[in-house]
Amino acid sequence: MPSKACPWPGGLLPLAARLFLAVAIWPCSGLAAAEPDGQPPIELNSGDRVVLLGDAIIEREGERGAIETALVATHPGANLTFRNLGWSGDTVWAESRGVFDAPSAGYARLLDLVRGLEPTVVIVAYGRNESFSGAAGLAPFREQLGRLCRDLRRPPQEPGAKAIPTRLVLVTPPPFEATPPLSTAAAAARNAALSDYAAAIREVAIEQGAGVVDLFGAVEASLPAGARLTENGVHLSDAGYDAAAAVYAAACGNPLSGDFAGRTAAIRAAVNAKNRLFFHRWRPANETYLFLFRRHEQGNNAVEIPQFDPLVEAAEATVRKLAKESP
Amino acid sequence: MPLASPLRALLPALLLALFLAVSVAHVASAQRALTDIPVPDPAAELEAMEVAEGYEVNLFATDPAIRKPLQINFDPRGRLWVSSSSVYPQLRPGEIPDDTVTILDDTDGDGVADVSQVFASGLHMPTAVLPGDGGCYVANATEMLHLADTDGDDRADARRTMLSGFGTEDTHHLVHTFRWGVDSRLYFNQSIYIHSHVETPSGVHRLNGGGMWRFRPSTLDLAVFARGWVNPWGHAIDPWGRSLVTDGAGGEGINLGFPGAAYFTAIGTPRILHGMNPGSPKLCGLEILSGAHLPDEAHGTLVTHDFRANRVCRYRLTESGSGFESEKLPDLIRSSRVDFRPIDVQMGPDGAIYIADWYNPIIQHGEVDFRDDRRDRTHGRIWRVTAKGRPLVPRFDATKLSNGELIDVLTADGWARDAARRVLVERGIDEVGPDLDTWASAARHAAPGTPGYHRGLERRCLELLWLRQGLDDGSTAAIDRALLSRVLTSPDPRARAAAARVVVDWADRLGKPGAGPDGSLGPIDLLAPTVDDDVAAVRLEGVRALAAVAARDETSPTDATRAAALALHVVDHPRDDALDYAVWLAARELQGAWLPAVLAGSFDDGGKIARVLFAIRAAETTAASGWMVEQWQQGTVTGADFDALLHAVALLGTAEELRQVYDVALAATTPAAKAASLLDHLAESQRKRKVAPAGDRAGLTRLLTSPDEALQRAAIDAAGLWQVEAAAETLERIAADAERPLPRRESACRALGNLPGKAAHDALATLAAGPMTPEPLVAASLAALVGRSADEAAGLTATWLARGPGDTAVHEVLRAFLGARGGADRLAIPLADITLPPPTLRAVLQDVTAAGRPEPALTAVLERASATGGSPSITPQQRAEILTLVANGADAGRGRELYRREALRCVACHRIDREGGRVGPNLTAIGSAAQPDYLLDALLEPAKSVKEGYGSLVVVTADGQVTSGIPVSRSDTELVLRTALDKEVRLQLADIDEEAPGTSLMPAGLVDGLSKEEIADLVRYLSALGR
Repeated sequence: MPSKACPWPGGLLPLAARLFLAVAIWPCSGLAAAEPDGQPPIELNSGDRVVLLGDAIIEREGERGAIETALVATHPGANLTFRNLGWSGDTVWAESRGVFDAPSAGYARLLDLVRGLEPTVVIVAYGRNESFSGAAGLAPFREQLGRLCRDLRRPPQEPGAKAIPTRLVLVTPPPFEATPPLSTAAAAARNAALSDYAAAIREVAIEQGAGVVDLFGAVEASLPAGARLTENGVHLSDAGYDAAAAVYAAACGNPLSGDFAGRTAAIRAAVNAKNRLFFHRWRPANETYLFLFRRHEQGNNAVEIPQFDPLVEAAEATVRKLAKESP
Repeated sequence: MPLASPLRALLPALLLALFLAVSVAHVASAQRALTDIPVPDPAAELEAMEVAEGYEVNLFATDPAIRKPLQINFDPRGRLWVSSSSVYPQLRPGEIPDDTVTILDDTDGDGVADVSQVFASGLHMPTAVLPGDGGCYVANATEMLHLADTDGDDRADARRTMLSGFGTEDTHHLVHTFRWGVDSRLYFNQSIYIHSHVETPSGVHRLNGGGMWRFRPSTLDLAVFARGWVNPWGHAIDPWGRSLVTDGAGGEGINLGFPGAAYFTAIGTPRILHGMNPGSPKLCGLEILSGAHLPDEAHGTLVTHDFRANRVCRYRLTESGSGFESEKLPDLIRSSRVDFRPIDVQMGPDGAIYIADWYNPIIQHGEVDFRDDRRDRTHGRIWRVTAKGRPLVPRFDATKLSNGELIDVLTADGWARDAARRVLVERGIDEVGPDLDTWASAARHAAPGTPGYHRGLERRCLELLWLRQGLDDGSTAAIDRALLSRVLTSPDPRARAAAARVVVDWADRLGKPGAGPDGSLGPIDLLAPTVDDDVAAVRLEGVRALAAVAARDETSPTDATRAAALALHVVDHPRDDALDYAVWLAARELQGAWLPAVLAGSFDDGGKIARVLFAIRAAETTAASGWMVEQWQQGTVTGADFDALLHAVALLGTAEELRQVYDVALAATTPAAKAASLLDHLAESQRKRKVAPAGDRAGLTRLLTSPDEALQRAAIDAAGLWQVEAAAETLERIAADAERPLPRRESACRALGNLPGKAAHDALATLAAGPMTPEPLVAASLAALVGRSADEAAGLTATWLARGPGDTAVHEVLRAFLGARGGADRLAIPLADITLPPPTLRAVLQDVTAAGRPEPALTAVLERASATGGSPSITPQQRAEILTLVANGADAGRGRELYRREALRCVACHRIDREGGRVGPNLTAIGSAAQPDYLLDALLEPAKSVKEGYGSLVVVTADGQVTSGIPVSRSDTELVLRTALDKEVRLQLADIDEEAPGTSLMPAGLVDGLSKEEIADLVRYLSALGR
């Protein structure tokens, strides 16, 4: 078949990152620490390498940096790293990731990509796009979310590959909001459907021993009075991202306080700069020519793509430094 | 919910490199070898332009004010917005994207920009810019941004992501060509490699491949308007709202865009439309000329760019059928400089024509390295074309005009109309509504025949209706039912057609059928007259509008059925391709609306069963065959309808129902021609669905010897397909009967090939080995044997090939081996011990190439044979000699004769004007795009570069058949390939076991028998085409 999509354009994880992972010590078992309600607390430990998966809300978080900044700044010495793999329109079937192939190929590619990053934590934020399928789509969604969780924990199939202990965090979608152009009636109808999907996500989290960030249940309460959660009824506004960041931070046991955004503006700028570089690393333009079926034409330029790695590393070092210096 | 693989159909097509790449591959050798890089001097560039009589060109703007302009659009103040990219084709590691949007203005009216203001920077390959809503909309790689200037300093200070999720798989495919429609929706396009997944409040919209989007920024309503094309880089909307599209890598000239239209490369449809100028060069940008500054002859003509050939082209449209005919006119500008790259064109506020010149000796980034030093990243020009000696149109600032003044301007042309509409729409319904009501009331009351009426009022009413559509705030009060009715019943069919689309947008507020708020008509009733309109273009828009209204979630099943019934009225009338497509698509889309009603006996077909039969065949549904048989049994269907009914049953019925058709075909009373046609339709069912008439079909034997030639042929074919054993003896006799026409005997051989039993096998083997058997019959027999006993066939074939049979016969047998799984490997065994005459060897090699996939065993055997006297190869020195000859002394006339020589097989696969096959790229204008060196290489080594869209696909079906061809289309159920024989083969997806990309279908070695001089003549001829 044509063009096996290259899961990790240009090669493997950068050497520095591998060394870093090699010396990082797996801290504890999240499962063992499960709480009475079946959900483990979300712990972010020193050296954790976090991958964010999801739709446009995660993708745009890569530019806003609110959630990542909140988690980095509340774990100042932990040297957390984040890799944002959000993709607009995506679902638990990886429907946005097929590129020239079927979504099933996109799904395989997603798993390869995640494994290549060797994460210790994967944050999985799906369900909103799927909720447009309503009641009929609920059971297939639930099943596929479970499959995704299992697949994310499954070790690579190569002989001798070591299992990567990966903790999962499932995120419920933020509710739709009656903000133009979404009407009050439409928002209510969408939320009725979304509520079932959010419930399914929480159930799957329990089954999978995954942590939960419940945006659907909690994000509106984090929003300042009078502020809008979204820009258009669907996608988070700046205030919405700040509110979501607060919910994430609280779910990790570190509620944000005071003028958090003001205090961490420098970290956030550095986070965004790092994410911009990483975006061009994992989803470069001209993939057709660099890695896919026309690579015989411009595949020689694919060498440029791993050249983003040291730039990402350096940007990340800045984030770490700023986080440590943060008041 | 995994969707069907989106671009898989085309992927292979795009895969391999491109043969005779009019679009890009020619650039490969032409551009890689480009050594003579011109000095970027605007004066010299201007000097090199050959401008059409009566026009002149001046430099409006150049670098450094603008760098690498990608799109231009004027704002309502008459200022030109330009998006530019230095980042293209690829961001460097660590580079901060800093592309710009610039506003240019000519404040003193001297035709040269004197103000240049960077509105926004920090952008990433902004392939489009469109001013509006206090700033501009910009394409920014994966997203569409709105950049606003909130403090009036002409610098963007607010940024909003309107849409995101656009693909970036190829940076000259990124979303592009932003234009405001007459409906004040933002239309924009994406190219073929782009896969977009866009979230809006109404859900995720996906478009995997090329197409045109329709977007309303205020509501985020987004939809795919039309699909297909490779690089739809031009979109202009005529005064009646009709979308015209050009394709920067397709070769069909001007295309008509309408809701649901699907063109070349569209995925998920078994049917596509074609542009108006097949064989045209690839075109970029599009504008319609208008306005008092330009001479009358220019009005309404189209300007677009053949940027590969450095020229500005013109076309003239004339209304024809449901659309237009398009005629190419002499060029507006031709340049001898390779750096002149016109890519966009707009009518300006002064009535002049403005042309964006991307300025680059190197185009495209597939072939020439991203980082090639010759790639220009800093220059760019805007040229201004004026008509000599004619006064300019006085420029005005539309934002300074009153509502009334602007409404008056709406019926003007070009920029003024668009500017007026934009300002009015942005002022909003509260500010404009009262004036609009006054004008609309006056306009619609002036009916034909009343005092003060003039034809111009038809356009005015339509413009006011479109303004209403632009001002629509979703409230019930926002629509103007009276005006809509007025335009739907306009004496001008162009207005009626345009109004049909408005009905769809307002359907939510037009009430139920016959029960609108004031007792007036609902959307379906309003559209009802359109489908029986005298004018095809109105029927086309009417049927698409009905389909859209019927498909709305809010439309009740009863109303949807009614809409479908109306849509099918179109079947009563003559239909050109686009109109037939439009109703075909409606029938497929609305299957859920008409089929249950048909089956329940409640469908209103107006007593015209042809409508229902059309729908059944369009939808390819087998669910209605019982209903069709009932109609048949009632005996009320007669004449052509009856034939159509039997054909539909034959194509879509059960085995038992097919039996009934079969019995009619065999009835002694059935005329031979009709019986033949029925058998052909039944055979189609076997091929396509593997359904054959139930019961014993031995009776068919009688027809094998029918005195009617057509019936005899149909019966022989059917006997083979159905494996009618009783026919074996007769078929053997026919095959062996020297008195019978050869084609019949060949058919009989093919039929025998399918029959079980030793007798059939022996008959074929005898024929194949018979020294007196005519060559075509040997070929047919050998080919038929391949499927039964490949080893035996291989042995016989090897012996036969050694005798040096003719190419046609060789091709037939080779195709049989190559078309059977493992067939080529079997043939390789006996061939290893045999020496083939050089012409035969060459013919065999051609077939192996044409199979489009590696056949290592056979290739190895043939290569060994070639080494001892096979295909000559050419040295670099000989290549250089030929190219010198092309430039000096080669004769295009002789080349033309060679081109047409049968042995070269050019005509079989390539089309020039209206003659020739469609397997390979159309060559009508190849010379305008491809350089001689590229053409030569393509002739010598076809597989080296295959044109986009002409890479082959190799498919293995469950029965072991291997088919290679160029993908034509792919639906949910069917894949259509065009084989090297220029035949469309329809393969059921369910039958497909494997698919793989193939190579070029163009055989290598076609010109091996030619002398250097002859090859030069041929190249000379090709390079003159389209010049």
